[in-house]
Amino acid sequence: MRDKIVYLAGAAAIVIFARDIYVIAGLPEEASQGIIFKIIFFHVPMAIAAMLASFVALVASVLFLATRNFRYDALAVSATEVGLVLLAGNLVTGSIWGRVAWGVWWAWDARLTSALVCWLLYAGYMMLRRAIEEPTQRATFAAVFSILAFIDVPIVIFSIKWWRTQHPQPVFWGGGSFPAEWLGVFLWNMAAMVLLGAVLTMVRLRQEDAQRELDAMRRMAHAF
Amino acid sequence: MPYLLAQLTSDDVAREIARLQHGYRFLSAAMIVAWAIVVVYVLLLVGREKRLKREIAGLKVMLEEKQK
Repeated sequence: MRDKIVYLAGAAAIVIFARDIYVIAGLPEEASQGIIFKIIFFHVPMAIAAMLASFVALVASVLFLATRNFRYDALAVSATEVGLVLLAGNLVTGSIWGRVAWGVWWAWDARLTSALVCWLLYAGYMMLRRAIEEPTQRATFAAVFSILAFIDVPIVIFSIKWWRTQHPQPVFWGGGSFPAEWLGVFLWNMAAMVLLGAVLTMVRLRQEDAQRELDAMRRMAHAF
Repeated sequence: MPYLLAQLTSDDVAREIARLQHGYRFLSAAMIVAWAIVVVYVLLLVGREKRLKREIAGLKVMLEEKQK
């Protein structure tokens, strides 16, 4: 039953994306940036979904340290992995936008640098997990690392407010606005991206369960 | 409007087409790369799922044989 819900949610996300891509293609150009502005419909939802995933990983890591329940560790690693994928998409789309808008692929300003550091920190989290064999030690070290890594997330979010950056101010939070039809598509795309992130996290979580079952069976096989 | 169009030279039209094509090329590249990252991850998940199922099935058979 849970599998069916996950697959249905995944199919719903794909349908929303397909519809949105069709609608976005028909939207007019933005006055100053031209057609490349349409990247915002994927770039921002990817960032927000990735930040949500890192928040889920933070909560799961705290809960693991408090309860020692391995389900929370599994949730933390699943959310982190999905967040890494979405943040990679965000960085790449941002870089391509920068090439058109600024004439360079990358600028070492506070927003871009902190986002890259965030990606590297969570990649480090995944590498740390691979380096430790013992499950309890691995989960404990990873939970502490995840909590420390999350310190970078508010820096990524607020960097454009705290420092003068080349990265533009956000459309809504920076005093700007969208036409109503653009806003509708943007919010649908945001919902679809969060849904996609949740589906991928659920699938990954199921694999962590299967991996634990496999480890238990291996221990049994060695015991014979 | 017809008056404005009449003022456009063929160079203006060519420049506008080049500008549009430039934007479309980069927008398409961004969409393709972003979705390729997601698709590759989904394929990795599918591969991992298959490997886990295969290993669990193999161990189950081994454990059943050992219990006999």
